[in-house]
Amino acid sequence: MSTAAAEHAPSPASADGIAARARGLTKAYGSGETTVLALDAVDVDIARGRFTAVMGPSGSGKSTLMHCLAGLDNVSAGQVWLGDTEITGLKERELTRLRRDRIGFMFQSFNLIPTLNAAENITLPMDIAGKKPDEKWLDQVIDTLGLRDRLKHRPSQLSGGQQQRVACARALASRPELIFADEPTGNLDSRAGLEVLGFLREAVDQLGQTVVMVTHDPGAAAHSDLVLFLGDGRIVDEMARPTAEAVLERMRLFTGGTPQTPGFDVIRSQFDGGPATLEER
Amino acid sequence: MLKATLRSFLAHKGRLLLSALAVILSVAFVAGSLIFSDTVSRTFDRLFASTAADVTVTPKETLDETVPSGQTLTLPASLADRLARVQGVAAARAEVDVEGLTVADEDRKSVGPTTGAPTIGTAWNPTERSPVELTSGRAPEGDAQVLIDADTTDSKDVRIGDRLTVIGQEGSFPVEVVGIVTFTTTNPGAALVFFDPATAQTKLLGDPKAATGISVDAAEGVSDTELKRRVADALGSDAGTYELRTAEEQAESDVEQLGGFLDIIKYVMLGFAGVAVLVGVFLIVNTFSMLIAQRTRELGLLRALGADRRQVRRSVLTEAMLLGLVGSTVGLAAGIGLAVGLIELMGLMGMNIKATEMVIGWVTPVTAYVVGLGVTFVAAYLPARRAAGVSPMAALADAEIAEIGRPLRLRAVVGSVVGAAGAAALVGCAVSSRTSSAASLLGLGVLLTLVATVIAGPLLVRPVIRVLGGAFPALFGSVGRMSQRNALRNPRRTGATAAALMVGLALVGGMSVASASMTQSFDEQIDKTLGADFVVQNSNFVPFPREITDKIRDTEGVGLVVRSQFTTIAVRLPDGDRVKTTAAGYEPELDEVANITYAQGDSAAALADGRLAMDKDFAEDHGVRVGNALPVEFQGGRRAELTVGALTDQESAEGFGAQGGIYFGLGTLQKYAPGGQDASVYVNAASGTNADDLRANLEETLDPYPQVQVRDIADYKQLVHDQIAVLLYLVYALLGLAIIIAVLGVVNTLALSVVERTREIGLLRAIGLARRQLRRMIRLESVVIAVFGAVLGLALGLVWGVCTQQVLALQGMTALAIPWGTIVAVVIGSAVVGIVAALLPALRASRMNVLAAIAHE
Repeated sequence: MSTAAAEHAPSPASADGIAARARGLTKAYGSGETTVLALDAVDVDIARGRFTAVMGPSGSGKSTLMHCLAGLDNVSAGQVWLGDTEITGLKERELTRLRRDRIGFMFQSFNLIPTLNAAENITLPMDIAGKKPDEKWLDQVIDTLGLRDRLKHRPSQLSGGQQQRVACARALASRPELIFADEPTGNLDSRAGLEVLGFLREAVDQLGQTVVMVTHDPGAAAHSDLVLFLGDGRIVDEMARPTAEAVLERMRLFTGGTPQTPGFDVIRSQFDGGPATLEER
Repeated sequence: MLKATLRSFLAHKGRLLLSALAVILSVAFVAGSLIFSDTVSRTFDRLFASTAADVTVTPKETLDETVPSGQTLTLPASLADRLARVQGVAAARAEVDVEGLTVADEDRKSVGPTTGAPTIGTAWNPTERSPVELTSGRAPEGDAQVLIDADTTDSKDVRIGDRLTVIGQEGSFPVEVVGIVTFTTTNPGAALVFFDPATAQTKLLGDPKAATGISVDAAEGVSDTELKRRVADALGSDAGTYELRTAEEQAESDVEQLGGFLDIIKYVMLGFAGVAVLVGVFLIVNTFSMLIAQRTRELGLLRALGADRRQVRRSVLTEAMLLGLVGSTVGLAAGIGLAVGLIELMGLMGMNIKATEMVIGWVTPVTAYVVGLGVTFVAAYLPARRAAGVSPMAALADAEIAEIGRPLRLRAVVGSVVGAAGAAALVGCAVSSRTSSAASLLGLGVLLTLVATVIAGPLLVRPVIRVLGGAFPALFGSVGRMSQRNALRNPRRTGATAAALMVGLALVGGMSVASASMTQSFDEQIDKTLGADFVVQNSNFVPFPREITDKIRDTEGVGLVVRSQFTTIAVRLPDGDRVKTTAAGYEPELDEVANITYAQGDSAAALADGRLAMDKDFAEDHGVRVGNALPVEFQGGRRAELTVGALTDQESAEGFGAQGGIYFGLGTLQKYAPGGQDASVYVNAASGTNADDLRANLEETLDPYPQVQVRDIADYKQLVHDQIAVLLYLVYALLGLAIIIAVLGVVNTLALSVVERTREIGLLRAIGLARRQLRRMIRLESVVIAVFGAVLGLALGLVWGVCTQQVLALQGMTALAIPWGTIVAVVIGSAVVGIVAALLPALRASRMNVLAAIAHE
């Protein structure tokens, strides 16, 4: 969905290659002396057809960046484009339709509507839009995620991993331009987590989707093509073709390089102050 | 613990506010009706006590009238002179008070009250006890001057010098208004017209030597009771034919006469209070259940920290009592307001009571608090027990799942047992042949089926809502699907929410079926029995003077006129029963204007001198046969032996207060109860005159007489419909109240559901559900809950209504009519109720911040 205004804007987003772009993206909370900058003039390009991970310690602004790119949150300053559409300045109603039609979402927990079965959850965004799903594509997604025999089940009848796979299928079902995944493995055991990451990888490699994942887990980030490191509201570094060890090493810099035994649990206790709540925005 | 309770109370004040409204409404109606009736009876006690003479002597009314006969009982005016000479009597006056007068202005419109209150013609005997004083003009002299009360002159724009026509039993005559009197006390609502005493006697009573009562004033130092004794002694053997009352007794008797009307208002108000209490209980139960479900973790934590069950239960009950206390207090205040409103309303109807003289007896606040606290305590008891049952482990478990998961087996068992008992009672009532037992079975059946439906309601949620919301997915897509499933999500909650609406609508459904059946029955009866072209009568069935009948007879085109009158009799039956009832007297040509089916005999035998007719079932019950001679006592004390000449076989022989369907010839009636007036006159057109012409002629004839109207059969039916409609208006008012409270319940439930589903809503919004769609989802859920309540309520109401009709059929209301129009309107209305109830919760949901909602814990 592109508006006339966006088309005529001096858009730096090229027609190909860039799925989303932010320039001078600033998000401030509070006012006067108590102002906290969650994002401080961030410039970022999300490459099309790639798997991008966003990392950073608690309060670094990684979730805020995702929310602003996805049109869930408004920005204090700067511009954001989704493809050719400038989404900063869009009205609430237009943003809702943009999310519905062009963006897919996965969250850490509570990803599904408990009253709908798996199939209904998967097609929900299209049902809301009153559109017919592309049956061939849908079949491909369902088979890729191995959900064929779970379609009639309600979320309460599915395991956590299965639920997240349904959420993944929902995000893919409408073939969005961009999928945002907010800590998608945060609530899963390591095996189920790996499974979900594998599917996201497959979505990029085989289905040609674009995925942006916010995570604090270096192991999860290692599945991506590119890791963006956020610190104090700025992009402080990036790493292409990451490995878990390299990411972990880079993350250590944020804590002043204190030598520590590498391990996810330690990292978790160090960086994750609690559930993804206000302080992370 | 108390501190925790208080905190919790304040924290949930928004939700509790809705419950408090239910308490407030119930208490307000209870308190309002008590204050109103106390105030009114105090006012009238005072009025009548201050205006009554020390001792009043009136002709003895041997039988209380239920249907007015138009008869004015008199005594000789000379009695006043006789009593004036009794020792201890300071003065004795002959009084004339004639009710049922009509006074018309120059436009031939009545100047009397439009409320059905009488116009009273009175002899002008000003004393210090008169309720009025002359404020302008002068006292009436001669036979063409009157005084009128200021309330009437104000409302009907009558001035001194206006010419009026007085239409009394003894004929009409012109008068001029020469003065205006003002009430020094409360005006009970009647219009007062004062004549000079001689005129009152000759023109109103038709007898210069008659009076309607004697007022006796005591000399100094003689008490009222002593005076009454002396007067009784002086009357000697005649005392038995008179009623002697001291001022106090007279006031009591007057208040009693007004009492009937005031009782109706009181019972209507209590009916409202009852509905408010009944529906309110559901609301409160629901609110507390939800609060507790919502706080399961918190309660579990309290238990884990060492609070025992009793403390938890007490904490919840204390919260309920606080709610009851606040609700009762506000309700009491609202009740005072309501009473003021009612008093003002009475003022509009001509009964001027001063709101400043309001009486609030100790009973009122006590009752208010008992009702308010009682209702909340009873309603909160079960939820409180459930709260106490929360295990300390619940602090860790997921609360909502546990609540939904509890099986409904116990409900199913209890619901079906109670339901079966209720159904059996209703079947019993339908097949019963005795009115009294059928009515009590009906009451029992209604109660049991109501309880059963409330208990089993949650079980019906799934099947009924599947059907009701079945079209939602097709009509509204995934939004419709989600709203239907949300309504099914917690059947207990949906059931309880709908129950509030159900109770109100069941009552309305039942009453509308009953009243539609009554209307239909009356219609059929009128078609079957009324054979006259026209009926002339008063819309309140108040009798009218002979002069009108004479004028009708003289009207061009009138072929036949048949008069009828009512009188009150007491008849001694062979089985020993003494039955007091209203009987009718007809002229012999009855068959020309009515179609009466006789089991034995005919109209000629029934209406012959000294004969009577009665209903065959009544006769059978009391062992009466044709040819039996029955001792009959008439109003005024005359007695006669009347022979049973005929037995009728009518579907509805018994009307209001007319047990046994007894009637006789008009001649017989006038012989034993003289002085009555015609209650209705049946008119047939002369051959060759068409009905329209006759109607025009009759209307012209009756133009000067505003108290009567000409009606053909269709008009007559309409009159009956209008009378039944009054009952219906009451039903609709009750419906309105029930709906208001039920809406509060639906709002309550939805608001809580929205809070509980915050994250779900956040997710939906994130993946692109528009605000409008979200609002629609909540609205549809609300509509389906409301319609569920309506369908359940109406189904129950229909069953009740059909059974009620079966009981009425024993009284002759054989037709069964189901007002489908009303039922469809109620279902549609309930959908609207759902939409209204969803307004706020939907707005709140759509205003939620998406990010905060997703992060909501």
